[in-house]
Amino acid sequence: MDFNAAEEEEFGFSRNYFLAKETGSSGKKSARKLSDINVVDEQELREASAKIEPKHQNDVADLINSYKSLYPKWVFDLRCGFGLLMYGFGSKKSLIEDFASTALAEHSIVVINGYLQSINIKQVIIALAEILSEQLKLNRKVSSQGLPKVQQPFSSRSMDDLLAFLDGPEMDEKDSFICVVVNNIDGPGLRDTETQQYLARLASCSYIRVVASIDHVNAPLLWDKKMVHAQFNWYWYHVPTFALYKVEGLFLPLILAHGSSKQSAKTALIVLQSLTPNAQSVFRILAEYQLSHPDDEGMAIDDLYSISRERFIVSSQVTLNAHLTEFKDHELVKTKRHSDGQDCLYIPLTKEGLEKLLSEMS
Amino acid sequence: MAPSLNDDSPPSTIDEAFTENNLQPFFVLQKGPSRKSDRKSSGTGRTRRFDLSSASPKNSANIEDEKEDENMNLRMEAFEFVWSKIESTIKDVLRVINTNVFSEIQTWVHQSFDTIRSLGTPEFPEATQSFPIITDANSKRLFTGLVLTKNMEFVDDLLTFEELGKHLKYQGCHVANLSSLDFTAKNGVGGCLRSLLRQFLMSSLDPADISILASWYREENCNNPVVVIIDDIERCCGSVLSDFILMLSEWVIKIPVILIMGVATTLDAPRNILPSNALRCLCPFEFTLGTPAERMDAVVEAVLVKPCSGFIIGHKVAVFMRNYFVSQDGTLTSFIRALKIACTQHFYTEPLSVILLEFASEEDNLVFEIERHGLSPEVIWKHVFEFPSCQRVKLNKLTSESLAHAFSELKRLQNQWRAVVLCLYVTGKGEKVRLLDLFCEAIDPESYNQGEFDTNMKAEKDPVLSSSQIKGHVICKAVRLVRDLSTAQLGKLLKMWENLTVGIPEINGKVKELLSLLNVEDGKSSKKDLTVTPRRHTSRTQLNIEDSKSLSDKAANLIECMVRDYMHPTECIPFHEIFCFKDVDKLQLALIGDPRRGIQVDLLEFQKLLCCRCCTSSSNALLPSMHDTSIMYKLAQEHGDLINLHDWYQSFKSIVLCPNSKRKPRQSPLPKKRKGIKEAESQSEASIQARFCRAVTELQITGLLRMPSKRRPDFAQRVAFGL
Repeated sequence: MDFNAAEEEEFGFSRNYFLAKETGSSGKKSARKLSDINVVDEQELREASAKIEPKHQNDVADLINSYKSLYPKWVFDLRCGFGLLMYGFGSKKSLIEDFASTALAEHSIVVINGYLQSINIKQVIIALAEILSEQLKLNRKVSSQGLPKVQQPFSSRSMDDLLAFLDGPEMDEKDSFICVVVNNIDGPGLRDTETQQYLARLASCSYIRVVASIDHVNAPLLWDKKMVHAQFNWYWYHVPTFALYKVEGLFLPLILAHGSSKQSAKTALIVLQSLTPNAQSVFRILAEYQLSHPDDEGMAIDDLYSISRERFIVSSQVTLNAHLTEFKDHELVKTKRHSDGQDCLYIPLTKEGLEKLLSEMS
Repeated sequence: MAPSLNDDSPPSTIDEAFTENNLQPFFVLQKGPSRKSDRKSSGTGRTRRFDLSSASPKNSANIEDEKEDENMNLRMEAFEFVWSKIESTIKDVLRVINTNVFSEIQTWVHQSFDTIRSLGTPEFPEATQSFPIITDANSKRLFTGLVLTKNMEFVDDLLTFEELGKHLKYQGCHVANLSSLDFTAKNGVGGCLRSLLRQFLMSSLDPADISILASWYREENCNNPVVVIIDDIERCCGSVLSDFILMLSEWVIKIPVILIMGVATTLDAPRNILPSNALRCLCPFEFTLGTPAERMDAVVEAVLVKPCSGFIIGHKVAVFMRNYFVSQDGTLTSFIRALKIACTQHFYTEPLSVILLEFASEEDNLVFEIERHGLSPEVIWKHVFEFPSCQRVKLNKLTSESLAHAFSELKRLQNQWRAVVLCLYVTGKGEKVRLLDLFCEAIDPESYNQGEFDTNMKAEKDPVLSSSQIKGHVICKAVRLVRDLSTAQLGKLLKMWENLTVGIPEINGKVKELLSLLNVEDGKSSKKDLTVTPRRHTSRTQLNIEDSKSLSDKAANLIECMVRDYMHPTECIPFHEIFCFKDVDKLQLALIGDPRRGIQVDLLEFQKLLCCRCCTSSSNALLPSMHDTSIMYKLAQEHGDLINLHDWYQSFKSIVLCPNSKRKPRQSPLPKKRKGIKEAESQSEASIQARFCRAVTELQITGLLRMPSKRRPDFAQRVAFGL
């Protein structure tokens, strides 16, 4: 019976997929372009975006408030040794932080913001170890045990040592755990396998309890069975909040502002301003060349070198290459194979964008 | 939203702090106060280790509430007691299952060690050199135990290898447990060495060098074997593993390492992942662990059938857990986890579950004192009267004594049930009758109430009825098996039954009766055999067969009657709610989160969650008052796998502006009249575009949408098709 249901479901999935594929390629595909929309200026778009009046504010608040009745249950689960995993549409950041600060008032709480681009998991673990050692010291004083041996500072210890410390033998106070709140455990900063492995090992430590949220529909694919069953030990909660993804969406580009000349010129300017005057001058030569030769595929490296050398901007090919590497790293300049086989350089900006950039540089 | 904890600080600063914190990769939200002061403040005799009441939104000034909190803390204690009992039982069961293999491995380890030693121990100058000794190819052989786990799910064997390590350590070996994570291409062979040094020397030296290990071993008197356990070689990086093996083989005289490797598939596995030069170093031996199904049956028997903690699960829960094991997850670990979730749920929701603490610890003479459980008697009685099982039996007056009596009755019935189930199990054990299946059938209250067990038995006797009706019924299968037994087998079986039913005189008596009958029969037939003449031999044998036939029929009748009369599923007994967890839906939600489906349903049926009046309409029409992302996602359903952004935007805009809608779009940013029309239009255009962008971003966060690629800049891609 169950097998049939599962089979039926699977069949439904593939059928839907092929149906969708068919409608997509049946010739009816709309050819209209995004540029047909009269997209407003990005500045304006961002301003408007900040001013959007949220819908159903009261209903959303009621919904989030209704989860407060679950707080005691969540505490119960944490005490039983589970990790809480919250999913459902809407930002759960304020919900779980509110839960942690109100219901776990006696515990230390560390929040990790997984939606950020880069997170150094080792630093998080060092911070946790420091908090724990403070906590243990306080307790030791109470129970008047011998002072701990002189130890290496946490920052110079290896991950294994740190995790072993956090997984220390449980004390008589069984509930002296540190709560780690992970906003978006499936976020870009935590998505790689290594970080997830460390998070899983962290979650299985005796002094640690994890409360995490996921937003991506495929988030469970990050974990294997060992992580799910033996380490994270998730207790799932479906808690849609419909709250705005304010910070979570902060670093994602607005779809309608995507590729606008102004945006790229602006980011290019910021990068350029951080470079040396000589590097800026090299860039200027390239930009001027591109503007004066709009039909060319790009500027040959040798040409760029000879002009830069004439103007005493670079002294050798090596210095020029150093500048070019810098440009390429920031995607200010790209290389292309010229039709005559030579590598040439170009700036991936529109004419208007380039002009604007040059005027702002000076 | 959150009421701030420190009322003295103005809320604005908290807000600011929060926004700044939002951009920190991590931050400390709060540091826990010292527990010392906390403990002093709670002056009650019982230490309140954790105040669940602080989490409750209610005002706990009320005495009733305080009692409830007290009760909640007691329930937590009861849970801890019960679960630790279950957990230790499971551990014991698994240890017992592995005992034989473990001792086999242990003997082999010591034999291998002796063989290595017989090749010679290094002289002092050699031993202190920081390079390996190589004499001949023979001395480079590495004794390797391949442990076939018979299980693709290595998660179930983590504990096994941990236990094996402990077992060998107890026998005097130096043991290190490595996992496949130590064999990654990134860390190379240095990673495994570091892990070895950590485990043997208890220190992490940065230049990981095997000569350190050699000198450590020399200081350790060289009298014990060094065992390195790798739990799952199929997940290791092959090249790192082979480097590791080659390195160990060169040092084997100085450090007598014996490898134990877990293999999930077949004996071919090492051949598939290791190059021939590494394979040549191995001197393999094979060991086999029990299958997952065997372990499962052992766990079910110890935890759910035999008396363990008093906590039990209902039929639907059991069926769900069985199906999840059989057709979805397949790991014992997840089964145990499901059991723990069920246990947590039960103790959290059932106030009287506190009783389990005493129910499990005291064997008989349960004295039920209501006052001990933190609840007022009125609340308890009211709660008890509300149990469906209690209403069925129409009890009109309850006292502590009657409740205690009911509990001992419950225990008695459970004992009977257990005896019958175990009898059925031993009957069918050889014939692939799984205890888990049997358990699921035996606790089914419906088929019991409808007398299905009975009718099925009849169908069994009546050959006219189609066999499909009986198919799948494990109980019937077991009964059928009894009929086909020979006299000798029957004798053995009855002996087992006799042992299993020792505490239950009603059944035990009947079994004994049958057993004596069998003995008499036996005696008779042997006597007859003595006097029989060759001439009449055939007919006599015929007679004997018939005799045994009638006996096995009698045995089958007996077990049928046992099933009918003594196998009361717990869910048919009054007050079972106190001990039995039945809410399968809650368990499923907590065990298997389904974000893929859940998030889509949130978006498609958001009005059900938000309970707003403006968006609930009888038709499926999209209304401008709906959540933007929800509108967008519903619109996306009408597209193929690619969504033209232009079209999508236009349809979004037309819905949001919705000129035909009779309703006045409350929150739609329609132009204010006093502003110039043109300005207002562009304003609303900007606002709609902003809303469109935000909805797309939100869909991107949920992963339901893939952003336009460079090749197709005007199309976004749908990811999910159907729920």
